[in-house]
Amino acid sequence: MKTATLTVVLAAAAIGAGCTTLSRSRDLGNPNVPGKTLAQQVCSNCHGVDGNSINPTFPKLAEQQDEYITGQLKMFRSHHRDDPPGFEYMWGISRSLTDAQIKGLAKYFSSQKSVPLAPGNPKLAAIGKQIFHDGLPAKGVPPCASCHGDHGQGNGLFPRIAYQHSDYVIKQLTVFQRTNERPDGVIMKTITHSLDHENMEAVAAYLRGMTQK
Amino acid sequence: MGIDLRGSRSPRGSLSFTNTAGAVPALATLAKGVGRKLVAGVAGACALIPLLLVLAPQQAQAVPSFARQTGQNCVACHAGGQFPELTPYGRLFKLTGYTIGQRELPLAMMAVVTSNKQKVNDPTQGKTQDGSLIFNTASLFIAGKISDRVGGFAQITYNNYDNQDNPEGRWAGHTGSDNLDVRYADHLINNHQDLIYGFTLNNNPTVEDVFNSAPAWGYGIVPGSTGQGSGTSTILEDGLGQQVAGIGAYAYWNKTLYAEISGYRTGDGVFSFMTQGNGGQVYIKGTNPYIRLALTKEWGPSNAMIGFTHFDVRPYTDQTNLGGATDHYRDTGFDAQYQYLLDPYTLTAMVTRIHETIDSGTPGVSSDTVNSLRAKTSFTYQAKYGATVSYFNYDNTGNGASGFSAVDTRYGSSGWTPEVFWLPLQNVRIGLQYTKFNRFNDTSQNASDNNTLFFYVWGAY
Repeated sequence: MKTATLTVVLAAAAIGAGCTTLSRSRDLGNPNVPGKTLAQQVCSNCHGVDGNSINPTFPKLAEQQDEYITGQLKMFRSHHRDDPPGFEYMWGISRSLTDAQIKGLAKYFSSQKSVPLAPGNPKLAAIGKQIFHDGLPAKGVPPCASCHGDHGQGNGLFPRIAYQHSDYVIKQLTVFQRTNERPDGVIMKTITHSLDHENMEAVAAYLRGMTQK
Repeated sequence: MGIDLRGSRSPRGSLSFTNTAGAVPALATLAKGVGRKLVAGVAGACALIPLLLVLAPQQAQAVPSFARQTGQNCVACHAGGQFPELTPYGRLFKLTGYTIGQRELPLAMMAVVTSNKQKVNDPTQGKTQDGSLIFNTASLFIAGKISDRVGGFAQITYNNYDNQDNPEGRWAGHTGSDNLDVRYADHLINNHQDLIYGFTLNNNPTVEDVFNSAPAWGYGIVPGSTGQGSGTSTILEDGLGQQVAGIGAYAYWNKTLYAEISGYRTGDGVFSFMTQGNGGQVYIKGTNPYIRLALTKEWGPSNAMIGFTHFDVRPYTDQTNLGGATDHYRDTGFDAQYQYLLDPYTLTAMVTRIHETIDSGTPGVSSDTVNSLRAKTSFTYQAKYGATVSYFNYDNTGNGASGFSAVDTRYGSSGWTPEVFWLPLQNVRIGLQYTKFNRFNDTSQNASDNNTLFFYVWGAY
């Protein structure tokens, strides 16, 4: 009898304790949960609490452009971005986010510090550096730096790409080149049109560890 | 008794039975945790996503009437889409009490159709061994987020070929409670700290575990799979599943160190809802401790774990004399797992070694030991096409130290199970396994008579 009573009381207390709390909430359907809380409680599980994700499946968000994060979350929410990793992971996460929560999430990650990854293959990285700063004039490919910044830091809607996972960079460049799954990046379709896989690998090898000048 | 295709409630110890002819030992097919193997996938988030049953993302805009908790695809939580193997995110989802996402109608179900062809089949076992396509088992899950700190799952399983206990020896179906795990959890995380802590109420030691090498989750996960045949298993490997009630506390610090301590008691009285429909109640004395430690590391697309488990439990020697002597089981396990997760490839590997000593409650009876070794590796491509290879090796001394399970014979078994499978949809898995026995009933002679070809179609919604 004692065990039964104790169990019921504990169970009720446990459920009651978790009923309506905003602090450390993982509720993606409650518009009152601050963006920062969602970043720490939910997004961190894949992207890292400081936005420096470990698995390349999940892009690094640390120091990402505020406007870019905002735009991408809205694209996921509206299903306009539908590359497979995007819809497999992010449609569900973003489906009920409010604009205010998205703003809070963007502010949280954009204010984190991005950490460079271990440098890529030096030969490839050297080629990648050249493509990044000078483009491929023979193929009509402009320098990445012209939109993404000399240090790859990004600018507004042009994302930060410095220190990004190589696998993610290559996969997204391929998405832009071969699909219409990211319509907001239509400008990238033209730019990636003439890139071959070796070009992409070279740029990715450079970006992952590029040092600030 | 006959072939055990039950998805759950597997009995303690050996499942080897001789048929009436006596010439060939009947294959004891152990269906390990039909429902519970799927729970991690089905219950928490993945299978609660009907909108993601469709193939093309555009179609997913037409959200079905059932909304699901996280809205994510199965691959988010399950390695290469192979429920129930958990990814790091899947582990965090479970450790934080299944509370990520929006609270939705927490219902899901699964069903399995199988064909089991044993090389030399026992006629009395009928369709369970002769290769007939049968409806094997189905489960209902009540699972998901209850509040911001509390979540869990409960599973109820129907096994269509549960027993042959009637006078005619016909196969009869049966419904009973299956795995259950309810949690309270919290996550203290910011740029300077990362601590998950929680409490679990569950009915099966290791069901609360998040690592794929845990006995409740790791091996023979396809409902109806050929298990270790005659091999006597340790009590930790589902000897007490759905017979006990455990309350535990756990913590996961810095995504590096996991520690858990739980106490298990007989699952009767207020806890009897967790053990309904599972045959006679097994009685253990008092509160029996279970400890689990694990170290984890993630780097790039890889992650790994090494772990230690210890379970100390005393079932009554005479299950009708609950004031009398108890047998003393001590299980010590070491396990490890590795995963490589980067689309389109997924590679996983795990190994689990458990050593058990059984001291008898009957004076003058020698102690027994049971050793189990299980290993498995899997590979999937695009979360659609996969292959696995498993190895099992069981041995036991047969001194009859356990009055409660009365294993007084050596029932060693060992063998391999290769498998290929296909996931045409993320919630449907079709596969073919072949289990090759090197040893059965502690001998290699005629062991191959028990080799089994197993085909399955496993779906969830």
